[in-house]
Amino acid sequence: MDLQELRITAALAYLELDEEEYEKLEGAVDQMLQYFSKMMEVDVSDLPPTTHALVRENRTRPDDVLPFTDTDSLLENAPETEARFIVIPNIL
Amino acid sequence: MSSMTRWIGLLSDPKNLETYQRYVETIEPKIGAFLEFDPRRGLTESSAEGPLKGVPFAVKDILAVKGFRLTCGSRILEGFVSPYTATAVEKLQQAGAVVVGKTNMDEFGMGSSSDTSFYKRTNNPWDLDRVAGGSSGGSAAAVACGLVPFALGSDTGGSVRQPAAFCGIYGLKPTYGVVSRYGLVAYASSLDVVGICASTVEITAEMFTHIRGKDDRDQTSVEPPVKAWGNEGAERQVRRIGVVTGNLGLEAGVERAYKTTQEVLRSLGYEIEPVELSMLEYYAPVYYTIAMAEASANLARYTGIRYGYRPEYAENPEELVRKARSEGFGDEVKLRILLGTYVLRSGFQDQYYQRAQRIRTAIRKDFDRVFHEVDVILSPVFPTQAFRHGAEGLDPFQQKVADRFTTAANLAGIPALSFPAGLEGGLPVGFQLMAPVFAEDLLFQVARRFAGVVPPPKAPTNTSPWS
Repeated sequence: MDLQELRITAALAYLELDEEEYEKLEGAVDQMLQYFSKMMEVDVSDLPPTTHALVRENRTRPDDVLPFTDTDSLLENAPETEARFIVIPNIL
Repeated sequence: MSSMTRWIGLLSDPKNLETYQRYVETIEPKIGAFLEFDPRRGLTESSAEGPLKGVPFAVKDILAVKGFRLTCGSRILEGFVSPYTATAVEKLQQAGAVVVGKTNMDEFGMGSSSDTSFYKRTNNPWDLDRVAGGSSGGSAAAVACGLVPFALGSDTGGSVRQPAAFCGIYGLKPTYGVVSRYGLVAYASSLDVVGICASTVEITAEMFTHIRGKDDRDQTSVEPPVKAWGNEGAERQVRRIGVVTGNLGLEAGVERAYKTTQEVLRSLGYEIEPVELSMLEYYAPVYYTIAMAEASANLARYTGIRYGYRPEYAENPEELVRKARSEGFGDEVKLRILLGTYVLRSGFQDQYYQRAQRIRTAIRKDFDRVFHEVDVILSPVFPTQAFRHGAEGLDPFQQKVADRFTTAANLAGIPALSFPAGLEGGLPVGFQLMAPVFAEDLLFQVARRFAGVVPPPKAPTNTSPWS
């Protein structure tokens, strides 16, 4: 993967990397992609994909309301709040 | 008598609780198994009665326990306190067992040493200069030095079995879906399972019966066919054990122990048959393609907005998310997110992710073929014994390649048990048994008989009066 592709991928993943990190990661990424390329040896034309080992069918459940009452415990985990609102930087 | 006896009631008695805490205080500073340790808090959430009354256990910091922190070894979850409890943990609490703390791990389960944790390093109870393995290194180390009789971990590609082998204990990776994952932080959803680290086969089997079962809160959980668990051990007897052969690239000590283990099993009356797993060399590349792709999607939820690490300053919400992720994730996690994002990008999916899923089918079929010939399969867990911390150990790429034996069970969804097989050069060696889906009982059966000849070793740091 060239540096340009790596930058696009990082942007898609919402990662901001400095030049030093790009340099370090570029080698590691290439090494893994090289390793993945071993998969090209296998003829996969007759093989359907396995998405899950055991679950074959889609599962649904009734769309029931299950109340969760301890909402304070969720808000306590927010980094910054103001009267039960979560604070974020200005949007405009 | 069960090796659990001495642990029962331990924490329910205030005097014994103090003795226990003193023991942990003398051992833990050397090992670094725990990220948080607070048995008194754990006591308030457990049933005062039940078969496991007052039994201490530890939980990998990737499983939710109400009132305890939940960091996954990552800075991005620094300070997060779980508002609820994972099903597997809850079931043990209902049986009376007590969570004493949360154990150290590789960040988000990504590693084989526990050294990618943002918070601390965990030392191997057999040699403090060496790693306890990973990613469930803290859980395995806590068991090996007698701080708890068992601990919960998670196994996506070997994360329970490899540290168990490095620390000289048992590590169970159950059949996919058999233990609820409600409350397990997701890494790679088609591979993740909750597993058990324990000091004996009996304890492993007993805890498995406590935590298994279908759960409405986990859409992937399954109830096995009744026959699979009816009259456990009485119906099916293991006769033939397939031994994985070929050029396995094992370290000399592991190779020696592998041969000895086969001889012991033969002396117990098992038919030992060499088997070749034709897809072996593809396990790790397929595994890492799938795991990284799924990880990149699962880890997209960490934004620094509603919980977790938030940067000092950000101009706008987008920058907030980018900075939170860039400062909050470590190198190994970033690498895996990048690769995962790449293999899922339009134009690359067929070449990587789709292809990996198709080869995964071939891997499953290969196991079906082998289980037609043998009852269980014996294989190495890892090509080396516990390696050293830092540059003298294995580098991150070598660690990934070395996952070739353990990743198979996750890809195929089958159960596997890592068991201790004695010492080589003063360090434990472990091997794994794999069985068809839902056949955990066969794994326990063989491991139990093996332990009759080769009992599990006791780490020098383990001076626990209870284990």
